Amino acid sequence: MIKKSIHSLASKLIITIACLMFAGSTIFGYIFIRYEENVLMKNLINYAGSSADLAKKAVYYGMLTRHREAIQQTVEVIGKGEDIQVIRVFNSKGKIFYSSKRAEIGLQVDKNSPVCRSCHSNPQRPRETLFNKKNWSITDNKGVRLLKFVVPIYNEPSCYTAACHVHQKGQRVLGLLETEFSTTTVDAAIERNRLAIILYGASFIFVISISLCIILYIFVSKPVALLEEGMKRLGKGDLDYAIPIQSKDEMGLLARTFNSMSKDIKAYRENMENWTKTLEEEVRKKTAEIMKTQEQMIASEKLASLGRMAAGVAHELNSPLTGIVTFAHLMLKRTPPGNKLDREDLEVIIEQAERCSKIIKGLLGFSRSIASEKTEMDVNETLRHTLDMVQNQAKFHNIKIIKEIDSSLPPIAGDASQLEQVFLNLLINAADAMNDRGTINIATRTISEDAEGYIEIEFTDTGPGISEDYIGKIFEPFFTTKPVGKGTGLGLAVSHGIVKKHGGYIHVESRPGKGASFFVRLPVNKSS
Amino acid sequence: MDKQRILVIDDEAIVRVSCDRVLGPEGYDVELTSRGDEALRRLDAERFDLVLTDLKMPDMDGLEVLKKIKEKWPHIPVIIITGYGTISTAVQAIKLGAYEYIEKPFNPEDILSAVKRSLEDKK
Repeated sequence: MIKKSIHSLASKLIITIACLMFAGSTIFGYIFIRYEENVLMKNLINYAGSSADLAKKAVYYGMLTRHREAIQQTVEVIGKGEDIQVIRVFNSKGKIFYSSKRAEIGLQVDKNSPVCRSCHSNPQRPRETLFNKKNWSITDNKGVRLLKFVVPIYNEPSCYTAACHVHQKGQRVLGLLETEFSTTTVDAAIERNRLAIILYGASFIFVISISLCIILYIFVSKPVALLEEGMKRLGKGDLDYAIPIQSKDEMGLLARTFNSMSKDIKAYRENMENWTKTLEEEVRKKTAEIMKTQEQMIASEKLASLGRMAAGVAHELNSPLTGIVTFAHLMLKRTPPGNKLDREDLEVIIEQAERCSKIIKGLLGFSRSIASEKTEMDVNETLRHTLDMVQNQAKFHNIKIIKEIDSSLPPIAGDASQLEQVFLNLLINAADAMNDRGTINIATRTISEDAEGYIEIEFTDTGPGISEDYIGKIFEPFFTTKPVGKGTGLGLAVSHGIVKKHGGYIHVESRPGKGASFFVRLPVNKSS
Repeated sequence: MDKQRILVIDDEAIVRVSCDRVLGPEGYDVELTSRGDEALRRLDAERFDLVLTDLKMPDMDGLEVLKKIKEKWPHIPVIIITGYGTISTAVQAIKLGAYEYIEKPFNPEDILSAVKRSLEDKK
């Protein structure tokens, strides 16, 4: 965390700015302190100069009147002034005549001493006077700085004309007045200033740094953390997350750009998902279609092989049945009319063989329903033909047939002989259901279903109807409700197969106790 | 007058025997063969008044046999016996000149009456 914060942009900025401010403050402070020092020193020197001048003027009268004690008293009084360490008066030979420190009086200073050197650059040649403008010097005595100010006392007419006659007219300089000032006050002021500047500078840097920290946290670190959070969420797939930055600055712009990018990605992903879903749906549909087609193919292939097998079996069985029927007949012929028992037995053999033959014919019909030849045909004509055939048979003698034929039926493409078989089957079933006694209603009409045109042929009987349990099974091969020997269970299966191959279907309606209706629906082929 | 000669062609022995047993006692000379090519050879060599032939046989189709007979001996009536009758083959057979079309298994009376009629029509 600390390492991270050190490497963060804000830290770098703060550290850089703090360093720059520190360097700037240091340089500025140094210059400022030096300037302040110079001003204070100049003030001190000016003060020293005016003090020396004052002292010189103060002792002037005493000098003229040669009143030595008064001079000493004046020097002592002035010497007690602020910051004044000592005030002395030398003669031209360097001997101390007066001093605020009485102990010094009478001492001779060395010609190399700063007092002499202030005017005489070469002590060996005292006559060569250097008029140095710098009449002050600073000495450092064990950490205590001293400002020494020297004022020459020039010979004036009042001096050499005075009653004492101490000084001759030829003398230029009569002596020196030296004052020593302590710089402690000034130094303390300088020190105070320096401390103040340093303190101000440090506070300034501190305050600026803290402000910068806060500003950078608010305007940089916090938005950056939010952006980071947003990117992490986006990386994890949370496309609904919007970065909550409302500011109008670059961070806000970045956040808005990022949010709109998230939105775009989301929209893109949704598109992709929708597309994938659509694709999956398409694939599922196609798969289902293929499966259905495959199932139909398998079913029709099964049916075709069943048909082939049925045809083969039928063909193979017909020859042995021929033998059975023929030889039974031959035996019957030879059996005397009196032998009733044998004759009856033989008749059973013939009857049963003929029943076998009927089953075989049914199987052959079933196998033939699989392959057909379609021509343009009139359904009404085929139906009429079938009815002509059945109405002459004894089975239909007690059945009333009511016809309701729509003579405007369009022609369809179909196999007339196969459809005849279908109609025949339905008529025989109806007659069987009614025990050969009742009414069959037959009607033809055109209907439309799912925007497709159909021809509908209705067969309605007045029998008992079909029970709920059987209605789903009636089209299954070998399903029959007729007594053993009467039905093969193939009639409706064959009929169903034929109608299906014509693109149609058989619809059944049963009213238990009142009868059943079979509707054969064949599509009208518009091209034919 | 010689007995009338009938040639029966069928790959199934039981059908051939059945025909023999139905027609033989009625005074016909019944000859049996299982192959179409052999039948044609025998027709070349001998005199026959009637041919009964199956439709589906392994070596030669009954319709082909019928066609050859009608080409060479158009006066000989041919009765087709089939265990696999369809309307279209029946129509085809009649068109090619078959006298009658009988489905297996047949009743002895049916075949006898067909034979009698064909031979009477021939006269």
